[in-house]
Amino acid sequence: MTPALAIRSLSHDFIAADGGATPVLDRLDIAVAPGEILAIVGRSGAGKSTLFNIISGLLSPRSGRIEIAGVPAGTGNSRIAYMLQKDLLLPWRSVLDNALLGIELRGKVGAVDREDAIAMLERYGLAAQINAYPHEISGGQRQRVALTRTLLLRPTVLLLDEPFSALDYETRLMLEDDVMSLRDERGMSVVLVTHDIEEAIAMSDRVVVLAGRPARVSQDISIGLTTAGRRDAISAREAPEFRAYHARIWGALKSTAIAA
Amino acid sequence: MSAQIDTAAAPKPRARQASPHRTRNLIQNAAVAVIVLAGLALWQIAADRHLINGQLFGSPLGILASAHQGLTTGTLLYDSWVTLYETVAGLLLGSIAGTGCGLGLWFVPKIARPAEGVSIVLNSVPKIALGPLIVIWFGSGMSSKIWLAAISTFAVSMIAATASVRELDRDLLNLFRALGASRGKIFRKLILPSAVPWIFSALRMNIGFALIGAVVGEYIASQAGLGHEVFVAGSLFDLNTVWLGIIVLTLMASLLTLIVRLIEERFVTWKSDR
Repeated sequence: MTPALAIRSLSHDFIAADGGATPVLDRLDIAVAPGEILAIVGRSGAGKSTLFNIISGLLSPRSGRIEIAGVPAGTGNSRIAYMLQKDLLLPWRSVLDNALLGIELRGKVGAVDREDAIAMLERYGLAAQINAYPHEISGGQRQRVALTRTLLLRPTVLLLDEPFSALDYETRLMLEDDVMSLRDERGMSVVLVTHDIEEAIAMSDRVVVLAGRPARVSQDISIGLTTAGRRDAISAREAPEFRAYHARIWGALKSTAIAA
Repeated sequence: MSAQIDTAAAPKPRARQASPHRTRNLIQNAAVAVIVLAGLALWQIAADRHLINGQLFGSPLGILASAHQGLTTGTLLYDSWVTLYETVAGLLLGSIAGTGCGLGLWFVPKIARPAEGVSIVLNSVPKIALGPLIVIWFGSGMSSKIWLAAISTFAVSMIAATASVRELDRDLLNLFRALGASRGKIFRKLILPSAVPWIFSALRMNIGFALIGAVVGEYIASQAGLGHEVFVAGSLFDLNTVWLGIIVLTLMASLLTLIVRLIEERFVTWKSDR
């Protein structure tokens, strides 16, 4: 099957002010299947954000390429959308107008888009806040508006860079659930970049550990959790396998720390 | 039952909280008024009893007489109008041009840094020193004062606008780029709205600068305006008219500041500190 997202022998350097190049990513090969949630974990400075920026098209890699559904990124009909830790809502726009920003920047906002946005905001419990400004709602609500803005673009690949790490634990679990059920409903692929091992295990089907300088894929671990009933943010954390995965990934991260 | 009691009781503490606050404000304002009136009374008594030289210091009643005369002859209103017109025209001209240049630099990042340096140098030039030059170029009419006011405000607006672009969250810019926004759309939907608070704060600062520009222009060469009035009165030792001019100029600055603040409140409803 053609992967939804493929990272093919991707290498990248940081160019310092004096022109010297520091290699950051070294021949990365990662493929994400349609409907798969993949977590990329690594220590800070491991090149996670650089990788994120390359996948989202903000940076051009030194070598290698990104393919979406088998074609080079930016050429096909498939769409990548991303979400960061910062909600990046525009303070002068209402919740609804913020949610519609992505559509507005790509073309014209139609009545259908508006209805879609309202329906999705209502689903996230923001019905009463549709006309509120971002400063009037909570951090968790803001992040949900950001998620709505991202999802209204109907992405085939959703990129998340530590999207919930600034939120309180409860809100974070709720949003993790939101993302998991969205994947179930829409079949989109999700790439989660994080340093939070628990979040990585709880949410994803696979965890890739980036390690070394320049970063390489040091581990590629499929996550299989035995949960009572549906897998969600809580039941995943209660699965008997959870601790073992945690120890394994933590071990992989720690060994790279010593090596570095 | 208990819920009913709760809702009925809820507004009361708020009402109780508001009233001491209002009373405190009232007392403070009354205290300020008393101090000012006492000061004016002392000034008047000192001038009447020749404890101070009335010729050199003027007196409150003298200022009132001067105001009365100015109002009956119509010169006070006319001079105020001239200065207000010059100030507002110069303020708008300088602020719009400065903001336009500052924001426009976003389109040409290569020259943004050197241009910002130039605007800082421009800001440190004592604009008033350009007065005689401007009067020679644009004559002694209103246009030279408008230009002087505009020059006095241009750099502040430009510096504020370039700062607003520089302080812009790079992640926001990246988000717009990743969403495929054109440069025009980025400018209209991100750069411009995020500069609005900066534009207003520059505008508030510029009110004072524009007023200085207009008044100093009138000092140098003019036929009308409060600056002209003050200058002429000063050279005739008519200190009461000088004071009157200063008072009207202060009122004018306060009025303009109030108007800008009201417009800002109308436009910038989304700021969290409101």
